[in-house]
Amino acid sequence: MNFQEQFHTAFIAENRWKLYINGLGVTLTVAFFAGLLGILLGTVLALMKLSESEKGKFNIWNFLATAYVDIIRGTPSVLQLLIMWFIIMASSRNPVFVAVLSFGLNSAAYVSEIVRAGILAVGKGQMEAGRSLGLSKGMTMTYVILPQAVKNIIPPMGNEFITLLKETAIVGYVSMTDLTRAANKVSAATYEPFMPLIGAAVIYFIIIKVLTLALAALERRLRKSDLR
Amino acid sequence: MISVKNITKVFTDPDGGKNKVLDGVSLEVDQGEKIVIIGPSGSGKSTFLRCLNLLERPDSGDIFLDGERITDPKIDIDRIRRRMGMVFQSFNLFKNLTVMQNLTLAPLKLKIMKEEEVRRKAMELLDRVNLAEKADVFPASLSGGQQQRIAICRSLCMNPEVMLFDEPTSALDPEMVGEVLDVMKKLAEDGMTMVVVTHEMGFAREVATRVLFMDGGNIAEENTPDIFFTNPRTARLKDFLSSVL
Ligand SMILES: Nc1ncnc2c1ncn2[C@@H]1O[C@H](COP(=O)(O)OP(=O)(O)O)[C@@H](O)[C@H]1O
Ligand SMILES: [Mg+2]
Repeated sequence: MNFQEQFHTAFIAENRWKLYINGLGVTLTVAFFAGLLGILLGTVLALMKLSESEKGKFNIWNFLATAYVDIIRGTPSVLQLLIMWFIIMASSRNPVFVAVLSFGLNSAAYVSEIVRAGILAVGKGQMEAGRSLGLSKGMTMTYVILPQAVKNIIPPMGNEFITLLKETAIVGYVSMTDLTRAANKVSAATYEPFMPLIGAAVIYFIIIKVLTLALAALERRLRKSDLR
Repeated sequence: MISVKNITKVFTDPDGGKNKVLDGVSLEVDQGEKIVIIGPSGSGKSTFLRCLNLLERPDSGDIFLDGERITDPKIDIDRIRRRMGMVFQSFNLFKNLTVMQNLTLAPLKLKIMKEEEVRRKAMELLDRVNLAEKADVFPASLSGGQQQRIAICRSLCMNPEVMLFDEPTSALDPEMVGEVLDVMKKLAEDGMTMVVVTHEMGFAREVATRVLFMDGGNIAEENTPDIFFTNPRTARLKDFLSSVL
């Protein structure tokens, strides 16, 4: 087969392109909502970790958040997905929801470290200045610390999202058809692995390249506004 | 106005050792007084000042503000802090806000003044330190001296009854020290109650009603500035003065 025929077999024949499009849809949906869940839960975890205990007292929030992050980081994400699928959410009829939950809970652990580091990098003088004026801790966080922390957080958060996007490829383990599994299915059906697999790789690459460029542009803008 | 009774503060070092930073310090500050605190580095000056507005909590002892025991664990600290301004060595202007927003944030969010009113007050204050034209810029574009003058304005915008200064000129290039001290002198002339930690002996001589020498977590000596500088009693203070003058 020449290139054209291979291309035809991999993408055009039997409307196979629909398989990739649907797969890509699953990949992007899972990544997007898992990313959202990760940011929300990750921020909560970060604030729990940063909560101060009264001198010498046991801090339950800090303990829970630390334990959570430890467990997530200490186990393979494939295994987390399998556990979510076959044990915790075994009765769910909604595969995308289960995947979002699993990847979101996983991502939250990494996001929490990013958010925590971003907040700590702001410097404690800013909090002290706010408190010395009579602003509460929450107000100072809202109006002073978090707006500055966002600048530190966005670049590594973008990287985390890119990692997440690629990691969703493991949903094939629980027989969901994302972009990777779609390509794999086509390659199995046609006995022609080259086009589908390389094609899927190119699609991932393009999406991530675009994200990376957008992120770099955003970072440049944030840096500029630092010097205004 | 402020009454400090026998406060102590112990910090635990990273290696677990105990570091007694304040060893039973007492002080009475009357309305309108200008207290200047000097002393070697590490003697507890900052810690003492930060205890006054409870940025640090004393381990024992009490602090009263107009008779109210502010070291009472049940007291609303934020309400007390509104009445005390604090100026830091490193300015600590809010980096994400313009100069105007730095001044108006607390009065607005705490609903102490109406927007119009607080903006007018902020402009007046900026005008007084000759920085009115900087109202809409961000702190990063300002010199250290300008930032510190604005930090003073930010505190004053809350109409505090007392101002605490922790080495306000120590982080400045020498040519900018004067402009900040001038603002502080004007504030003193206007009758503000002030507690100032500084190494500027000229300022202490000129402005202080009382000078305290802090050493090893204690107020080792205290006097009016003329006697303090010309007739130090303890050998420690004599040594210290000869090393800085
Ligand atoms: N938050 C803190 N934790 C532990 N030790 C501290 C802390 N703040 C100050 N110290 C220690 O307390 C001592 C006195 O510090 P400080 O009050 O800053 O002195 P000064 O302002 O006179 O130089 C120093 O030994 C310092 O290392
Ligand atoms: Mg100090």
